[in-house]
Amino acid sequence: MSRSAARDAGDSPGHDTLWRLAAHKLLRDRAGLLALAVVGIYLLAAIGVWLGWWAQEWALITGSKWGPVSAEHWFGTNIIGQDIFQRGIYSTATAFQVGLLVAVLAVAIGALLGAVAGFLAGGWVDEVVLWLLGVIDAVPFYLMVAAIAFALADYPYSMHVAMVSTFWTGTARLVRGEVIKLRGLEFVEAARAIGVPGVTIIFRHVLPNTFHILLVKFTLVFVDAIKSEVVLSFLGLGVKEGMSWGLMLSESTLEFLAGQFNNLIVASSLLFGLVFAFNMLADALQDALDPRRAA
Amino acid sequence: MAGTALLSVRNLTVEFDGRAGRLRAVDAISFDVLAEETLALVGESGCGKTVTGLSLLRLVPQPPGHIVAGEVLLDGEDLLALPERALRRLRGRDIAMIFQEPMTALNPVFSIGAQLGTVLRRHQGLSRRAARARALELLEQVGIPEPARRIDEYPHQLSGGQRQRVMIAMALSCGPRLLVADEPTTALDVTTQAQVLAEIGRLQRELRMAMILVTHDLGIVAESCDRAAVMYCGRIVEMRTTAALFSTPHHPYTVGLLEAIPRIREERLADLPVIPGRVPDLAQLPAGCHFAARCPRATDLCREVVPAPLPTADGGLVACHHPYP
Amino acid sequence: MDVLRFALRKLLAGVPLILGVTLLSFTLMVHFGPDRTFELLGKNPTTEQIAELRHQLGYDQPFLLRYGQYLRELLTLDFGHSDATGEKVASLLARSIPVSLALVLPGFVLGNLLGVALALLAASCRGRWPDRLIMAAAVFGMSISFLVVIFVFQIWFCTSHGLDLFPVRGWGMADVPDYLRHVTVPTLAVVFVALGYNTRFYRAVIVEEMERDHVRTARAFGSPPLRLFCRDILKNCAIPIITRITFTIPAIVIGGALLLETSFGIPGAGKVTYEAIISGDQPVLKAVVGLTAMLFVAALLVADILYRVVDPRVSLE
Repeated sequence: MSRSAARDAGDSPGHDTLWRLAAHKLLRDRAGLLALAVVGIYLLAAIGVWLGWWAQEWALITGSKWGPVSAEHWFGTNIIGQDIFQRGIYSTATAFQVGLLVAVLAVAIGALLGAVAGFLAGGWVDEVVLWLLGVIDAVPFYLMVAAIAFALADYPYSMHVAMVSTFWTGTARLVRGEVIKLRGLEFVEAARAIGVPGVTIIFRHVLPNTFHILLVKFTLVFVDAIKSEVVLSFLGLGVKEGMSWGLMLSESTLEFLAGQFNNLIVASSLLFGLVFAFNMLADALQDALDPRRAA
Repeated sequence: MAGTALLSVRNLTVEFDGRAGRLRAVDAISFDVLAEETLALVGESGCGKTVTGLSLLRLVPQPPGHIVAGEVLLDGEDLLALPERALRRLRGRDIAMIFQEPMTALNPVFSIGAQLGTVLRRHQGLSRRAARARALELLEQVGIPEPARRIDEYPHQLSGGQRQRVMIAMALSCGPRLLVADEPTTALDVTTQAQVLAEIGRLQRELRMAMILVTHDLGIVAESCDRAAVMYCGRIVEMRTTAALFSTPHHPYTVGLLEAIPRIREERLADLPVIPGRVPDLAQLPAGCHFAARCPRATDLCREVVPAPLPTADGGLVACHHPYP
Repeated sequence: MDVLRFALRKLLAGVPLILGVTLLSFTLMVHFGPDRTFELLGKNPTTEQIAELRHQLGYDQPFLLRYGQYLRELLTLDFGHSDATGEKVASLLARSIPVSLALVLPGFVLGNLLGVALALLAASCRGRWPDRLIMAAAVFGMSISFLVVIFVFQIWFCTSHGLDLFPVRGWGMADVPDYLRHVTVPTLAVVFVALGYNTRFYRAVIVEEMERDHVRTARAFGSPPLRLFCRDILKNCAIPIITRITFTIPAIVIGGALLLETSFGIPGAGKVTYEAIISGDQPVLKAVVGLTAMLFVAALLVADILYRVVDPRVSLE
């Protein structure tokens, strides 16, 4: 009778419509759009730095010690007379370099290992990946960074390597769980039944279905990376060449007692703005991509 | 069937926030439940029968649900207008509910004795010890073997049928006047279904309760209900005594439902009549009679004007412009 | 007896984890780590002197032997002497770990309790303005760097630019007022920085639990909201809450304390670790990594036993 007809009516939306629906929801999410715009402005600032359009005089001494806010130095100068605003803008590029590099690599590695482990769940490959996840999560983050810094000696990217090697675990766990769920679904079993090789199944059928998780995870790892950069640079374990918000904050500790707060204000405001926008964006993406959150 | 109305529902309307705006899950329905009778709310999934049951005690999740209009009168008191605190005193004591999924309806981390005891202490003011003794009695009463052992067990240690019996014990614990049973046997296997239904019926007679039985199963309606209200897309389309409904169904939807019941000695299953078309999307309900698009007797009138519920000769109601005689 | 056997089995299962952690850190820090030979020797050392020192330092032994030596140190809790100060590592840690615990625990406990309270408030007003306000404030708080919080609190509470109520640096646990004087500002910083994350986490867990059928059952039988939240829902949420709390403890003892202790000049395990990192003090680092891994396994064990206590569906098998 018509009960079967009712079941037909509940057929699940295809993947394409899920994305279209998500885009539609995101476009109606005003906070999410605002966050996206703010991230875009920061990105523009960073691109300008990379292309040499602005903030190129960050290392030059262009004023006097602790110069006041002026038309020439929008946020004054630091202890040796460098322009604080230029340094802040230049650091935006550093933040994006760290965030993008770490987020892309960590999410990619996590997705790959998580997918393989999930696909082969119960086998020895899965066991090894799980063991590795446990091991890395059991090492305190700062020690991991220090250990990698030791091992890589004076390699300028040792901080990036350390972050990638610790930040992939969250993605891997999530993707593994999702793949175990997907593995039991009809379309994967069908692909298997007609003899599609495992690697093809993973790349063509399983990973694309976890893409919404990866996108959200990417924004979250990005935030983690720039927040960690600040702390590590302050501790002397982070950025070794160039300028970063963490180095500016580190510099600002020399200025507190003298009542000079420009470095602190500029670095922390810029950092806050980017992290806040990214957090809002992550929320908006999660709302838009979660099929369970209707309306 | 004579008796006074214990519960009167008037113009109950419930809406849900959906992706495409408000959906009307229950559309201005009215019915009475007489003392000690069993009324079935019957229909396909999505017709609003469960939401109706939940609305009686304002248990519809809010948001996304909203009870936008109507009255639920218990002894002349409108439950929908009652302050939350007063309503809480009434929940489980005057009106009790049994839910569909015995797997999830009980709290997994408390023993069944603790869950029964909580209700007894709250509504009956029993001491801890008295509540436990009463819980034991109740478990015995609903036919749980070895209640003294079971009382300290957790829901996952019980079978589905036993869990539903615990649920029944909980519902009966405070001697309610009305029991709302939402698909109480759907999740159980067939033999357990019959036992649990028989148990509910026996206890209902013993305790002289009225019952609203929400179900999609016409077999259950025929077996254990005095009257039945057939629901379609949030409206009651026909409400008659069970005997009348099965012998002379008036509404074309009821006729379709009855014809679709497989009978023993039916030659081939493929001959089983099916109502053509499908249930319309609640977001795109047609004007007029919701069933018009699937109805063999529909006319232009049906597609434009909502049929009002009209009394039938035997004291029932039917909402149709062109009912079967 | 059951619990004991369960605990033993869990500890055994933790062995590969500890082996992994120690192997990883040993390889990175010691095998690839700095060679201290020429740092310790004078100018123009002879080949014999070099060989002699390398033998003393154990550099001439094979990898596995040196790693085995590390494991033995871990088992006996005897890590030798600090390269930097010459103090016994064991006594250094015995002195500094209690300081870290005294520093971090108040903030940790307060941060979680306040987080649960705010999450309950938000979840019970789901979708209405208190919920929106709390969640917006949570994202706001999550977006502020721990470092900035520490600086601003230092300036605000501890300098003449602000209230000037507490010392900027230093530590003391001689008596209660002394302890309070030193622990207040770090605690406020910890609470501030953790509150946003905690509130969001607990709210998500609580909201998920609120949607379960048994909550509807409880409401259908007249359960008042306060009781529903504080007894039924919280007990059901216990597993994710326990997981979060037990697993953050090993991380905050070292990680959380590290930044606080270096900023406030507090002689705890975090500062010891930081100084060991900066000076490449391998005996101390090896001890810290090894002990943290063991703490992690202990946390796993405690969590597993607590799961059994709060959820009857989890068996010891």
